[in-house]
Amino acid sequence: MQQIVDGITAGSIYGALALALVLVYRSTGLVNFAQGQMAVVSVYIGWSLVEIGLPVPLVVVFTLLASLVIGALTERLLIRRFEGQEPLVAIVATVAVLICFNGLINLVWGGSVRAFPSLFPDEVVSFLGARATWGDVGTVAVLVGTVGLLQLFFLRTRLGLALRTAADNPSSARLLGLPVGSLLLVGWGLAALLGGLAGCLVAPSVPLQPNMMDTILVYALAAAVLGGLDSPLGAVVAAWLIGIVETVAGANINIIGSDLRIAVPLVLLALILLVRPQGLFGRRDVERL
Amino acid sequence: MTTTERTPAVPAALSARARPLRWVAYVLVAVVLLAIPQFASPYTNLQLTLILVYGVAIVGLDVLVGRAGQVSLGQSAFVGLGAYAAAYAFGHGWGPVAALALAVALVGVVAVLVAIPAVRLRGFAFGIITLALPAFAVPLANRLVDLTGGSQGVAVVATTPPEWTGQADDQWRLYLVGVVAAIVFWLVHNLLDGRLGRALAAIRVNEAMAAANGVAVHRNKVLAFTVAGLCGGVAGWLYLIAVQFVSPAILQLNLAVSLLVALVVGGTRSLLGALLGAAFFVLVPNVTDNISPGRSYLIFGICLLVVLFFFPGGLAGALRRLLAWTRRRIGR
Repeated sequence: MQQIVDGITAGSIYGALALALVLVYRSTGLVNFAQGQMAVVSVYIGWSLVEIGLPVPLVVVFTLLASLVIGALTERLLIRRFEGQEPLVAIVATVAVLICFNGLINLVWGGSVRAFPSLFPDEVVSFLGARATWGDVGTVAVLVGTVGLLQLFFLRTRLGLALRTAADNPSSARLLGLPVGSLLLVGWGLAALLGGLAGCLVAPSVPLQPNMMDTILVYALAAAVLGGLDSPLGAVVAAWLIGIVETVAGANINIIGSDLRIAVPLVLLALILLVRPQGLFGRRDVERL
Repeated sequence: MTTTERTPAVPAALSARARPLRWVAYVLVAVVLLAIPQFASPYTNLQLTLILVYGVAIVGLDVLVGRAGQVSLGQSAFVGLGAYAAAYAFGHGWGPVAALALAVALVGVVAVLVAIPAVRLRGFAFGIITLALPAFAVPLANRLVDLTGGSQGVAVVATTPPEWTGQADDQWRLYLVGVVAAIVFWLVHNLLDGRLGRALAAIRVNEAMAAANGVAVHRNKVLAFTVAGLCGGVAGWLYLIAVQFVSPAILQLNLAVSLLVALVVGGTRSLLGALLGAAFFVLVPNVTDNISPGRSYLIFGICLLVVLFFFPGGLAGALRRLLAWTRRRIGR
């Protein structure tokens, strides 16, 4: 039980970043390898604000705003150029963005390890024989809330509908008079905001350093693909599944230990995809020739 | 400007007239290339050797990624497997050919076994699955201490220059690696210059269409994956000859991503592109280190973005456009 709770907590962080990946995929058809690194940049900005002496809730708001701006600017200034080209070039461009942001962090803040304050009280709660910190509970709650909001946003608002249209068929959307460019900007901004959220959630429990999201990005990629890449709900369920399987397998199967843990979700992913190539919640692509 | 397929740069009649001249040029280039190791410093020779080593890994990746359109993040695992196999062979006193045979056999088997299920996946799902290879290989190499030396790695003496050549270590290695790289490039070129090349192009453009037109999609994808893996394995063997050392670092995802980046920067579907990409990957970090060690990574990233921004066809594409432009300007 304890392991399942730990797994869900870990999975929630993967899930937040996976949501960001799904959002970018839905709006631009790309996998953004820089998603984690962009989040790290905003978390570092948040850390600087904490150092200035701002209260934590305010810091979180500013961090998320910073993420939004970073995401939107990255799309407008860099990624826009690669839209409509071979996706491979665009993906490599996101890798280049990752390298740039990593270099930037090292330049501005240095590579040394910092601590980020917790967003929630430190007390421990226990239920059903498992123990969790308020931070863990908060992480899960924030994620569940976010998925709910996202579903509402995409299904019930005009902007959400417009975003889906622009992602589904940019040229038709343009003919309908939708500002596709601005919508892509919004999509990337929102995705970066979600990434920033993931960063804020994970930052208190891992030391703050330029590469802190690298491993999480691998898990998030696995979760996004397992969930079917275009389904937010699928990404979160997949992320929890990955978190639980990884924790339980890592703790109970001796041969896996701590170093092979990262391979567990990937092997799980491989097995599931072989049976369901479209992922758990994805739709099968139907192509017209 | 997304035309990436190669068109004959010179009309047939013209090339017939220019043929003797062209052979002279080829011979001159060959002589210059053969002479370089004699005059370059050992450090330069090592850099050139590494460019060729990574070039072989990248040209293999190009078969899978550039030709067949299947983005892979697993190439480093094959390079590493080849290098470890070679290290084992050299460590047990085998000759270079036996070491190559072991590396190729081992990598070939692993590549086919991985490819048969993996290539059923499409698009990003395939990319993420291949990512499992380095993620799995690094801890494995760390654990199999008896075979791999664990995180310390293994150092071996791979080959020493024979007495009669009178060459220094760095020169001998560069010649050896250069010859093998040339053979691999030639083999890959011949392999793609025909049925397989067309089949992979059809798969890249549209899998369903390719299948409808009688291309054996699954078999050709497995073949592309295996060729990519084998080139990676040979590159690993070459790496060991060049560096005489291998550690789990070579298996890491970082290298797989770097090779993919180098492929795109150099230009996909081009042998020259593979070499240019490898050169970028080996040389640019040196240059940026010299400019400012603290900002090396940032400047490298900016260089990458600049190339991608202005030369979507990669360095090879840019070079081709430059050649076409000069040819137009001087009116042939």
